[in-house]
Amino acid sequence: MSRAVTGMGAVAGLGGRGAGMSRAVTGMGAVAGVGGDVDEVFHNLCAGRSAVAELRGFDHARHTAHHAYEVDNRPAPGVDVTRRATGLLLDAVGQAVRDAGLDESDLSGVPVLVGTGLRELRSVELWRTQGAEFPAAELHFGTALREAFRADDTHTLSNACSAGLYALALGVDLLAQGADTVVVAGVDVLTETMYGLLERVQPVPPTRVRPFDRDRDGVLMGEGAAAVVLSRVPGTRPVHGLVRDVAVNCDAFHVTAPDPAGIAEAIREAHSRGGVKPADIDLLMVHGTGTLLNDEAEATALADVFGPDRDKPLVTATKSMTGHTSGASGLLNLVVTLRCLAEGRVPPTVGLENPVDEAAGFRFVTGEAARRPLTVAQLNAFGFGGINAVAILEAAR
Amino acid sequence: MTVVVSGVGVVLPRARTAPELMAPVAEAPPVEPKDLVGRKGLRYKDRATQLAYCAADAALRHAGLLDDDGGLRVPGGSVAVVASSNYGNLDTICRAMDTITEQTAAAGSAMDLPNASSNVIASSVAIRFGLRGPNLMLCNGATSGLDAVHWAATLIRGGRASRALVLGVEPDNEAVRAFTGGARTVDGAAALVVESGQSAAERGANAPAALGSYVRGAGLGRTLDRLAKATGDRPALWHVPEQRAAAVPDTLLAGVDRHDLAEVFGLGSGALGVLQCAAAVGWFAQGGAGPVYATAGTDADDASAGIALHGRAAA
Repeated sequence: MSRAVTGMGAVAGLGGRGAGMSRAVTGMGAVAGVGGDVDEVFHNLCAGRSAVAELRGFDHARHTAHHAYEVDNRPAPGVDVTRRATGLLLDAVGQAVRDAGLDESDLSGVPVLVGTGLRELRSVELWRTQGAEFPAAELHFGTALREAFRADDTHTLSNACSAGLYALALGVDLLAQGADTVVVAGVDVLTETMYGLLERVQPVPPTRVRPFDRDRDGVLMGEGAAAVVLSRVPGTRPVHGLVRDVAVNCDAFHVTAPDPAGIAEAIREAHSRGGVKPADIDLLMVHGTGTLLNDEAEATALADVFGPDRDKPLVTATKSMTGHTSGASGLLNLVVTLRCLAEGRVPPTVGLENPVDEAAGFRFVTGEAARRPLTVAQLNAFGFGGINAVAILEAAR
Repeated sequence: MTVVVSGVGVVLPRARTAPELMAPVAEAPPVEPKDLVGRKGLRYKDRATQLAYCAADAALRHAGLLDDDGGLRVPGGSVAVVASSNYGNLDTICRAMDTITEQTAAAGSAMDLPNASSNVIASSVAIRFGLRGPNLMLCNGATSGLDAVHWAATLIRGGRASRALVLGVEPDNEAVRAFTGGARTVDGAAALVVESGQSAAERGANAPAALGSYVRGAGLGRTLDRLAKATGDRPALWHVPEQRAAAVPDTLLAGVDRHDLAEVFGLGSGALGVLQCAAAVGWFAQGGAGPVYATAGTDADDASAGIALHGRAAA
């Protein structure tokens, strides 16, 4: 453990200068296919339980893919309803603000940043196909957040699959520019158009997500929401962990394909902002979507940045159990990662048996959850259009 | 840190320059993107993205950030993109959904995949112009355009970029009209280059306006009060919110000149705030003096937002 101790010492020294304490996570909430709150999500992920199931929301006759990682809360099989994304978001935000001890009946003046890939576009689809009532004012989440929490400084950021961590970066900036408290959330549910269009680019319909495995067939969508309360002055309440910093950039390369160079640049910037080097990272929570392109590009970029230190961090990919929850995925991973750091426990990457060549030398957690003292984690999220976000987190000690 | 506006692009049927937002030309045909930026790269792009390309090109040129060949004069990583649109990809969603319903998912076009993600406008503009800084897509209802300007300033103040291209765009098509109950949008785009005052000065750029305070919260009256308190001055010109759902009371900022862009150009929605800021720059260019308030969101919306803009004498 001498390496881990060295890493902890180096980072604790920086944290002691106050950089980390200004971004404390004082509240967390989550809902996903694998669980309805943070405890249940983390427990099930550590147990290797996947939420993959037969597709519930859409007519199977219209699709060749028949699996997804949905939240099982529809009124009946095959019956879909509007505003499910909004419902999951309000659930997660409510959990987080109660956990932080904020007054959930009045979030006026508190910035609430919501990262989402697909907004309420599923409701638009139901309006289009079934004539479901759905007003334009509910396409963004501010209307529902105001009604539920009296929140009036709300921002719906539609930043594809890195939306959650992009929102986190903006939250960190608001704290640095004077805000005391910021709520950051991510949410997505399946849309039938995204689900259907993904079938057009994945020749073999996947039956599960197998990040970084040679025999992976691609990505399947998942549903969920996660939220955190960031505090500049955490006070006396327990702190779940610290956000050291978040880097964001854009490949400016391709509308769907990732660019390893842009990803590597984002990782390096995150390390620089967070005051860490590759050898300090104890846990790598990778984006790991299970698509052919992402996993190769992500592994190539990680290998480039970590070089000979690639065998140091434990690595895992939760999408093997949650599916790709798009805009929610970054924050869902944030919540899970802070629990990993707090408990020294890391969920396995289910379904990873033979890693791709690009990932050789990395220490993926497979089989059972790993146990090890952990201090610093890196979190990756990448989205369509080459928009990259990388966060550096630190355990609260 | 002072954040200035160093470039403006306006692409609407009845306005092609910032001053024309205050004095529109007579009825004109819809914007034809290929006539403005050429055909190259427009294929498979939705109308919102095509309109955004046109406004981005105009604003980047106006700011002096593009050379004669269209190449970027500053490092790509120094430029962020913040785009705002509520209805940008609604046509793709509706068309792809119709195909799945009437046939099956197998009949869909893989070329629609990127357009099914609402951030396609922001990322496509970044790709076209090589802008590798932070890339944000705001879909935030009535206030979205002003919120986009706010986030651009936040990124610059936070040191994440030296400058940001802010885009506001709303396309007009069958899907949008049906979804909004028959409204005709502006069917156009506006773009601003906002920049730290220091970065603009270092490259010798002219910056005709500076961004003042931004506020967002419940209630238009309260938002105006907060803006006045932060600005310490009454505005000389007030860009009022879109009034589809609720009228703006006469008692608010009584006596101040009001300008209603949506009444002239159509439903502004996510583009409105950016159009208002561009119009303020146009007003300053024509000799307007005194603070301008740009506001969006009435008491019928989830919130109101406001930004103050201040004219700057040419350097």
